[in-house]
Amino acid sequence: MQTLSRFMAGLRNLLRQPQIESQLDDEVRAYVDIVSDERIAAGMSPSEARRTALAEFGGIEQTKQAVRDHRAGALIETCLQDVRYALRQIRLNRGFTLTAVITLGLGIGATSAIFSAVYFLLLKPLPYRDANRLVTITDVHSAPLLDPDFIVAKSESKSFDQVAGFHHMPSNDNLTGVGDPIRVTRAAVTANFFSMLGVAPQVGRNFLSSEDWSGSPNVVMLSDRLWRNKFNADSGIVGKAITLNGASYTVIGVLPRYFSFPSPFLEPDLYGSAALEKDTTVSFTKQLWSIQAIAHLRPGATVEQAQAEMQAFFQARAQGYPSVLADWAKSRRIRVETLQRHLTGDERKPLFILLASVAAVLLISCANVANLQLARAVSRRHETALRGALGASRARLIRQLLVESLLLSSLAAVLGLVIALAISSLIRHTGTVDTSQAPARLTQVLRLPFGKLSAVIHVDGWVLAFTIGLALATTLLFGLAPAISGTRVDLRNALQSAALRISSGREQRLLRHSLLVIEVGLAVTLLVAAGLLVRSFARVMSYDSGIDASNTLTGVTSLHTGVASLSHPSPPWPRERFFDLYDRLLPRLKALPGVRFAALTSSFPFDSLQNDRMFVYDGVPVPPVAERQFVPITEITADYFRAVGTPIITGRLFNSTDNQTAPPVVIVNVSFAKRFFGGNALGKRFKTDAVQAGDLFSLKRKLSTVTIVGVVDDVRHGGPEQEVQPEAFQPLAQGAPVVNTKLVLRTWEDPALLANPLRAAVASIDAQHPLFDLQTMEQRVADLVAQRRLIMLLTACFAMLAVILSAIGVYGVFAYSVNQRQQEMGIRLALGSTRGGVLRLVMVQAVRLVALGGVLGLSAAFVLSRLLNSLLIGVTPHDPVAFSLAWVLMTFVALLASTIPAAQAARTDLTNVLRSE
Amino acid sequence: MSAVKANLLQGTLDLLILKALGPGELHGLGISRRIELITRGTFLVKPGSLFPALHRMEEAGWLRSHWGESENNRRAKFYELTKLGTKQIEAETEQWARVAMGMANALKAV
Repeated sequence: MQTLSRFMAGLRNLLRQPQIESQLDDEVRAYVDIVSDERIAAGMSPSEARRTALAEFGGIEQTKQAVRDHRAGALIETCLQDVRYALRQIRLNRGFTLTAVITLGLGIGATSAIFSAVYFLLLKPLPYRDANRLVTITDVHSAPLLDPDFIVAKSESKSFDQVAGFHHMPSNDNLTGVGDPIRVTRAAVTANFFSMLGVAPQVGRNFLSSEDWSGSPNVVMLSDRLWRNKFNADSGIVGKAITLNGASYTVIGVLPRYFSFPSPFLEPDLYGSAALEKDTTVSFTKQLWSIQAIAHLRPGATVEQAQAEMQAFFQARAQGYPSVLADWAKSRRIRVETLQRHLTGDERKPLFILLASVAAVLLISCANVANLQLARAVSRRHETALRGALGASRARLIRQLLVESLLLSSLAAVLGLVIALAISSLIRHTGTVDTSQAPARLTQVLRLPFGKLSAVIHVDGWVLAFTIGLALATTLLFGLAPAISGTRVDLRNALQSAALRISSGREQRLLRHSLLVIEVGLAVTLLVAAGLLVRSFARVMSYDSGIDASNTLTGVTSLHTGVASLSHPSPPWPRERFFDLYDRLLPRLKALPGVRFAALTSSFPFDSLQNDRMFVYDGVPVPPVAERQFVPITEITADYFRAVGTPIITGRLFNSTDNQTAPPVVIVNVSFAKRFFGGNALGKRFKTDAVQAGDLFSLKRKLSTVTIVGVVDDVRHGGPEQEVQPEAFQPLAQGAPVVNTKLVLRTWEDPALLANPLRAAVASIDAQHPLFDLQTMEQRVADLVAQRRLIMLLTACFAMLAVILSAIGVYGVFAYSVNQRQQEMGIRLALGSTRGGVLRLVMVQAVRLVALGGVLGLSAAFVLSRLLNSLLIGVTPHDPVAFSLAWVLMTFVALLASTIPAAQAARTDLTNVLRSE
Repeated sequence: MSAVKANLLQGTLDLLILKALGPGELHGLGISRRIELITRGTFLVKPGSLFPALHRMEEAGWLRSHWGESENNRRAKFYELTKLGTKQIEAETEQWARVAMGMANALKAV
């Protein structure tokens, strides 16, 4: 009954507030009136009667407030009041609000995005069973194991309870017989691979251990992606046969939907069995495979123990190697590292650099808001004291500030979320997307700036909550601390000193100035880092790539039927069949409208080169294996150099007469000419393998003598920042058949317009061969520097952000101090100081703080910039240009920011100040 | 400890107000005067305590109020007991007697 009554009263209070307020007014007034009436009647003068009555009553406002506080629903009501008041404050102090919200929002957004990226790339457990006990076994250069060693390690190692693996090189197959032919990537895995990862097929079965060995039946497991795209998720697929490179394979299972392959380079479309050889000797007479091993640590075993065991194991294995390999094998260093580390390997460093930059930005924004809040709390001392005098309790004042801070942080959080989403999507979408319809997303995934895990980066809720919490803590700490101490001061003192604009205490000034110095220092450090990265990027971009990337369309078609396929080689095509295809394809390409030059090649200008062709000087016997030299040789057709835009330096290009019956010829690049012939290579001869070799160590190599007929400009393979390598080119017609034939078209107009005609042309030659990896050359170049550009861009953005925030900080601090010292400035002017003198007074203080911050920042940068070393090209970590530019820029911006308040100080209106006394 | 004390005092004030309104309706000043009278000057209830208590008790349903004319023709708010308030007097009286007896016993002991 009583509760109900109070509840109804609370509702009434909330709904009919103005009425209730005026009634309270009347009631209190009536009390005073009745008392004074009595006193007048008793003979007191009316004014005296009223005064004594009021005095007897006590504080009218306090009483009313006490009534309000006791009312039902008072808490809700006062909270609403607080929110209304806070909103009014935010509206009134638009400058403060905007600055604080933008500052915090930028800090929250940038930090959440980068922290999330780090979380997903480095910290989040991989989606495998017992993922933190999974390790990879490689040598220190991350090279995989030879298959005989792998097989022995699998059964003999003591540190692992399971060793699984997959062939390092996947096979690229043409899947035919289901709709259009497509190229698919097939990884060959051991039978225990999926079970070790805790992955069970969603349909069908896993590989059997009997299927691990060469000669077992042709079986495959499909990825969910291929199963859905190509087989309409047919659950009856198990047991059916599919055709890969013309050979028949039986489908035994389909992997689960969200399975991601544990390799940074590979996301296969389907999986074959490993087809290992039971013979575990290492010799030149047999084909050796590279196996990427993933193992599960035995309970109790550590990574270090496993590494020591594997090191000893491989030393022992080296005893059985052929003598020419023994030296190499003995010096081999084995590395056992966690799978997580292996998967993110090279991406760690840039991420940590971004993380550090963004943490600096967050610190600066927090420092900024702290300064803003400190300044505001002090300037609100008068208001706080007044509110206290009018009956607000201390708890009420603190709650009021709390609500204000919350509101401010929420606004900042919204802005921060928007910014975080934008940065995350930038990270996800840097790098281009494959335009071919092939389900293989391999190329696409590899082009992501931070590897395949980039695709899953999104803003993590916990990270966002953390940064928002940090922002809230900052606003609260620095808004509340002065407020609490402010409410404690005695009323009269506070009202007086606030009215007299007595400036804040020494302690507070020291705190504010320290915060400012730290801000400026952090900004300078970031600027140095950004400067170094920008200069590196400029250096990289200024390198001559050796080609003309404009107006060039490229694509790959797989003319393949099973040459040197992994496990179950289907009978290779006869050589004539390849050349028949080339001869029909090339004229079609040249005849496409808008094509200037068309060429076929075995490798694009930026593909990584295989040093797999022997180089022997003419007239010299073939040296022993250990002393042999190897060079990369690319097969091309006549117009290749015209199509990619590489200028010829001397000699001639290939032409149609350089065919199989003509004397073998090569074109070399400038580096090749310098390295082997002292720069004068034209007309020189050397011996090399006639056919592409599969095995580096084979003794059975057929050498033939070739003549150098031309020298072309160097091309930087693997990216503009790589060293130029010696390389040679031979006519396609004189080389081995090229399985993945690459097409280069130089066009008159926008090359993208040719994509569909090109597809149609390739299909018209042979409908069995897919065209994929279709891109303009400019896209390929952009992808090579995508990560570098992203890191540079983000760091530069963060640095600019830091500078802007610090400038706001400088402005804020001095605007506040000038405002506080208005009186002092007035007195100085009154006593004969010039306006220039006042300006100087403020500027000198600013210069001192900014200089101190600058020195701190530069020293920090000097120590820390070495961490950037691996990302720097053509600049030293102590590059004087980057350092001095950073310092000059920050100092200039900071001083500019301080001139506004300084000029304001100098403009102090004397009469106004003195009148306001 | 301090909470008990506050409750005791609040309870006392409530009981005094209820008691003061027993004979009939009164306005704020009247209640204050009547309490002074019936406690023979022991309790002087200041408006700062009186008004919050009146509003609270009205919201609890023990009192109801209406606007009327004071003896010297001033518009004033008069309070009177509700049925619930009358019952509350009994409850509070009983509680007060218990407290008083307890206190008396405690003081007599030792």
